[in-house]
Amino acid sequence: MATIGRTVQPTPTHDALSRAQARAALVPDCMVEARRLANTVIAGWHGRRKRGIGENFWQFRPYVDGESLSRIDWRRSARDDHTYVRDREWEAAHTVWVWADLSPSMMYGSTLAPVSKESRALVLMLALAEILARSGERIGCPGVLEPVAARNAAERLAAALLHAHPGEGLPDTGMIRSSSDIVLFGDFLDPVESVMERLAPLARRGLRGHVVEVADPAEEIFPYAGRTEFTDPETGLRLTAGRAEHLRDDYTRAYRARRDTLADSLRHLGWSFIPHRTDRPASEALAALHMYLSGLPAMAARGESR
Amino acid sequence: MSAFAFAFPAVLAALVLLPAIWWLLRLTPPKPLVEVFPPLAVLATVLKREETPARSPWWLTLLRMALAAAVILAIADPVFNPRDNTLATNGPLALVMDNSWASATDWPARVTAAEALISDAEARDLPVALVLTAERRQDAVPVDAATARKHLAAAAPRPLPADRIPAIAALRTALDGTTPGTLAFIGDGIAGEDDEDPVAALLSLAPAEFRLIEADGASALAITAAENGADALTLTLTRLAGNSERTVPLTAHDARGRPIATGTAHFAAGETTARGTIAAPFELRNDFTRVTIDGLANAGGTYLLDDGFRRRRVALLSGEVADPGQPLLSPLHYIDRALTPYADIVRPNAADLSAAVTELLEQKPSVLIMADIGRLPDIAQAELRDWIEAGGMLVRFAGPRLAAAPADDPLVPVLLRKGERALGGAFSWSEPQSLAAYPAASPFSGMRAPENILVQRQVLAEPTPDLAERTWANLADGTPLVTTGPLGAGRIVLFHVSAETGWSNLPLSGDFVEMLRRTVQLARSGGAAAGNGGQAKALPPYRLLTANGTLAAATGEARPLAPQDGAPKAATFDNPPGLYGSEEGYVAHNLLPPGHTIRPLAVPEATTVLREALAGGQTLSLKPHLFALAALLLLADCIVVLLMAGAFSARAPARRATAALLAAFVASAILAAPQDSRAADEKPGDAAIFSRLDTTHFAYVTTGEAEVDRISERGLAGLSEFITYRTALEPGAPVGVDIASDELSFYPIIYWPISATAPMPDNAAVARIDAYMRNGGTVLFDTRDQIVSLDGGAASANTRRLQEILADLDIPPLEPVPADHVLTKAFYLLADFPGRYTGSPLWIEAQFDRSEDQSRPARGGDGVSPIMITGNDFAAAWAVDNNGMALLPTVPPDEIQRDHAFRVGVNIVMYMLTGNYKADQVHVPALLERLGQ
Repeated sequence: MATIGRTVQPTPTHDALSRAQARAALVPDCMVEARRLANTVIAGWHGRRKRGIGENFWQFRPYVDGESLSRIDWRRSARDDHTYVRDREWEAAHTVWVWADLSPSMMYGSTLAPVSKESRALVLMLALAEILARSGERIGCPGVLEPVAARNAAERLAAALLHAHPGEGLPDTGMIRSSSDIVLFGDFLDPVESVMERLAPLARRGLRGHVVEVADPAEEIFPYAGRTEFTDPETGLRLTAGRAEHLRDDYTRAYRARRDTLADSLRHLGWSFIPHRTDRPASEALAALHMYLSGLPAMAARGESR
Repeated sequence: MSAFAFAFPAVLAALVLLPAIWWLLRLTPPKPLVEVFPPLAVLATVLKREETPARSPWWLTLLRMALAAAVILAIADPVFNPRDNTLATNGPLALVMDNSWASATDWPARVTAAEALISDAEARDLPVALVLTAERRQDAVPVDAATARKHLAAAAPRPLPADRIPAIAALRTALDGTTPGTLAFIGDGIAGEDDEDPVAALLSLAPAEFRLIEADGASALAITAAENGADALTLTLTRLAGNSERTVPLTAHDARGRPIATGTAHFAAGETTARGTIAAPFELRNDFTRVTIDGLANAGGTYLLDDGFRRRRVALLSGEVADPGQPLLSPLHYIDRALTPYADIVRPNAADLSAAVTELLEQKPSVLIMADIGRLPDIAQAELRDWIEAGGMLVRFAGPRLAAAPADDPLVPVLLRKGERALGGAFSWSEPQSLAAYPAASPFSGMRAPENILVQRQVLAEPTPDLAERTWANLADGTPLVTTGPLGAGRIVLFHVSAETGWSNLPLSGDFVEMLRRTVQLARSGGAAAGNGGQAKALPPYRLLTANGTLAAATGEARPLAPQDGAPKAATFDNPPGLYGSEEGYVAHNLLPPGHTIRPLAVPEATTVLREALAGGQTLSLKPHLFALAALLLLADCIVVLLMAGAFSARAPARRATAALLAAFVASAILAAPQDSRAADEKPGDAAIFSRLDTTHFAYVTTGEAEVDRISERGLAGLSEFITYRTALEPGAPVGVDIASDELSFYPIIYWPISATAPMPDNAAVARIDAYMRNGGTVLFDTRDQIVSLDGGAASANTRRLQEILADLDIPPLEPVPADHVLTKAFYLLADFPGRYTGSPLWIEAQFDRSEDQSRPARGGDGVSPIMITGNDFAAAWAVDNNGMALLPTVPPDEIQRDHAFRVGVNIVMYMLTGNYKADQVHVPALLERLGQ
C-alpha cells in the first residue's frame, strides 16, 4: 500500500553540499513561481493608504493649531474660508525581515498536496521579497542577508540562500531594530510554549510580526487507516497505531487546539497569524500577508478564516 | 466394529507441532504501514491512550490453530462406520441381484451394496459370480473383481418382474459344483409369479454363508388396473408391506407429460390392495395417457392408458378471405371457439386451396370442416374424396359460395338446389324459421330442445326418398338443416346454414357447440389410417416404459405384441410394458395384469440366513468436510487480516485504482469485440423487392403479347400520373408481373388484360392468383371486348378465355356494381364505368346483406371485392405517351369519356386502398353533432 506522506529529501543529512545542490535546483523554480505570484498580488495594490512622507498627494485636511504654517496649502485654502493642509501619501522605506524554517520537518509533502511544505515556504518568502522589493522596501533575512533596498532583492535573497542556510530555529536577531516588520514562515509544530519563548523577546523589542503556518493537508485531516507506524522526520521517533482511523477525531481536535493556542498567544503579542495549507493556492496566503503588511488586517482576517 | 477410525493414524503425530505453530503465530504481528508524520508530537499526546497491539489477538491465533488442526485431521482421514470384511474365503463370492421394476427407486443404493461386496472380494482375492434376475441372458461365470465391477456398472433395472429360477439355474451351471463362499442375495422382496422358492434354491448351492440384503419394501407399490367410471378414473393398487396405513398420491398426465389431475389411494392398515380415484371432468379424463404414483419413479407406479378417448384433431378450411381484423365476420371463428375445448384445431398455412387440403390431410385430422367452399380444385377434390372413403369425416357449412356452386358437387350428402332460400325478407311471406325437435336417429337426440334459434337463409335439399333418414336436424317447416351421408368408410355432414351469423343465429347459441361436439365425437380418433383392417394383428412396439416409469422410444429387444384374447397378461422380456401400435393408434401394455397382487418373498425359518438392511454398513469419510472447514477458516483469516490492515476503509486511491483497472478491462473488452458480427443474409432479388416496397405500385399481368403489354404499361402509367395530379396518392411506376414466378403480395391491384391469343396460364399460376385474391389482393380482369360482343349474343373469344381461367378458381358470386355501392362514391361520384368503350358493366363480388335501410346512401360491405371484371378496356383509355398525349381514341371519340375513364380508375384505386371507409362517411354528420356538444 502506498504511503500518504513522503519526505521530500530522502536523505535528511546535514551534508552541506547535497543540501546546497538541492537548494540550487529548487530556488530558480521558486523564483519563477514567486514572480508569477507577485504579479497577481501587486496588480491590486495601490500605495500604502496612509499619510506620511512621500511625493504623491493623499488628502486635504483642515489645519489644526500647532502645525507648521508652511504646510498650509494656500491654493486650496483660498477657495473658501477654511485653511487646509495637503497630506502626502506615506512612502518612507521600510525594513521587512523574512525568514523561513527549513528544518527536516518541513521537508514533507503528502499525496494530497502538489508541493512540499518547504517548497511552499520558500515560494512564499521569495514572492513576498519580490513584492516588497518592487515597492521599494528593504528586505532582510536574519543570518543570511543584510537588509537591502534593491529592485533585485528577491534574486539576491535567493542567491544568498544558496550559500547560507538559515539553519534550524530562529537565528540571532540582535541586529534587528525596532519598528521593523518580521515575517516568519514555518510549520511551528514544536510545543506552543517553546515557540512563544523564542518569539516573545522580539515582540517586546517592538517588532511587528507576521507568522505564516505552512501545513500539509495530511497533517490536518489525518487520512490514515489501518495499522500504521508513524515516524518523526526530525527526531526519528516512531509510534505505531493499531487502528489509525480511530485516532482521527482525537488527533484533529488536538491539532486544532494547538493551532488555536498559538494563534491566541500571537494575538496577545499583537502579531498576526496566517494558517496556510499546501493544497491551497499560494496566492491566498500571499494576499492575506500583504493585507496585514499594508495595514488592513480586517480584510485579511476575513479572507483567511477557514 | 468400531464406529470411528482413522485411515492414516500416523499423520496425527503432526498435532504435536501445534504448540510450535502457536508460538510462531503469537510472535509475528502483522507488518504495519510506515508513514512519515511531522506532527508526531501532537499525535503522541493522543496515542498514549490507545494500547498498541504488538501481537495478534488471541482469537485470531486460535482461528489459525484450528485451521492447522483441521488440515492435519483431514490428512489423517477419519472415517465413520468403517466396513469390516467378513466374507467367507472358502469359495467364490456369488452375488444374486434383483434388477426388477421394484428395485429401480433405490437402484444406486443396491449398486453401492454390491460394489462394497465386490471390493471385499477383491481384498480377499476372491472371484465374483454376479447374476441379475431380470435379464434375458444370464452370465454367471465367476470373474475377477474388476470385471465384475464393470458388469455391475453396465447393469440397470428393468421394467419387468424378477425371474429368479433361470438365474439361479445359470448360477448353478456357472459354479459347476464349486461351493460358493459367501452367497449374497440383494432382493426386491417380492415373491415370484410361480410358487417356487428362490431362497431354498439358493441354499441348495450350499454356500458357507448366506446373506439376504433387502430394502424395507416401501417402494414395492404398483398400479394394476384402471377403470374409467362415471365421474372418476378408478385405479387398483397393490403393495408389499401391509402393516401400516398409507395414503398414496396419484397424478394423471396428458400426452405431453403435463400433470392435469390428481387423486389419492388409501391403504388401510393390514391391507395390501387399495382403490384410488382421480375425479375429473369427462373431457379432461379423455386426455389422460398415463397415471403415476407421486414420488415413486418405477415402472410399477406408472399405468399407461389407451387412446380410446383421445381428442380429435379437427382441420378448418374456409373460402373466405382471411381478415384477422374482423374475426366476427369469419365463419371459422365460431367453429374455432366452439371446438377449442374439445378438439385440437389445425389450420392451413397455404392460401392456395389445393395446397391447403394436402397440407391439412398430411396432419391426419379426424374431421375436416369446410366453411362455405363452393368449388374445390379437381386435384384437391380427388384427394379429399380418397381421404373420406378411407374413414375421414367431412363437415361442411353452406354459404354464398356453396349456394352458387354447380349442382354436381360430389362432396355433399344430399342433392342441393342451386341458390339459397331466404326466409323473412322483403320479397318473402315466410317468417324466419326455428328448429324442430331432433329426430330420434340423430346423434343430436337427447340434447335440450332448441329454442330461440332463427334461420333466415339456407340451402335447400332436393327431396329424395332417403332424405328423412339422412337428416339430423330439421327446421320447424320440415326442411332439413343438417344432413349426412356415408362415403366409403367415411361420412359427410352438411349444415345447410353458414357458420357465421349472416344466415342464422345458430352459431351464437350453445346448441351449436353441442352439435359440433357430438358430430366430432362420431369421427374416428385416429383419422382415416388407423384400424383399417378390422382383424387383429400383432402391433409393433411404439413407446416403451423405462424402469423409471417414463416413456422412451422402442428398443430392438421388444417384439410385436400379439393380439390378446381374454385378460391382459403380465409384461415379459418379449413384451415389456409400453405402448404398442403407431402414433395413430396404440394399445397400452402394462407391467402387471389387473387383479395381480404382490406377495413378500418367503424365507424358510430354519435356515441360517444373515439379514442385512440395504443401507447398512455405509461408510462416511470426514476428509472432505474437514478440508472444507479448513478452507472456510482460511477465508475467514484472510478477511480478518484485510480488515485489520484497513483494506475496506474508504480510501480514495485504492478505489481509483480499482476503477481504473475495471475501466481498462472494459475498454479492452470493447476493443477486442468484433465490429460487426451479423451474418450476411441477402438473397438474390432483395434489391428488386426493396424497390417495390418504398411506394405503392400498380401491377399488370404480362400476357406475352408486346402490344397488349405496352398498352397496359402506358395505361397504368397514365393512371398513375392522373392520380398523382388529383389525389394525395403518388404511385410509383407500373410493374409488369409474371404471375407464374413473381411475388404478387406487394401490389394492391393487378390489372389483367385478357387476350385469347396469348398463352393460357398453367394451373400453378392460376393457383397463385387464387392465393393472392384470398390474401386480400384484387384482380381487375379486362376482356376488352365490349365492341366485339355487340354483334351477337355469343361470348367473345376473350370472354371464353376468361371463363376458362376462372373455371378453376373459387370465385364468389358476382353482380354489377349497384348504384349505392361505395365504388360509385370513393372519390368521384360516378354513374357508370366507361373505359375506351362504354356500356359494359363492372362486375364485383355480390353483397348479400343488403339492408332495407334506404336512407343509407352508400354500402361498402365488409372488405374489398377480390375480383373485378369489365369489358371496357380501361388501359386503352388511360394510355398516354411520354408527352402526356393519349395513345388511342375512345369509342366513340369523346374526351369527356376519357376523363370519366380516368375517374373510374381513381375510384377503383381509392376503393382498393380505403375499403368501406367512404361508406362510413355517412356517419360524419352524426359524429360532428356529437363532437359539437
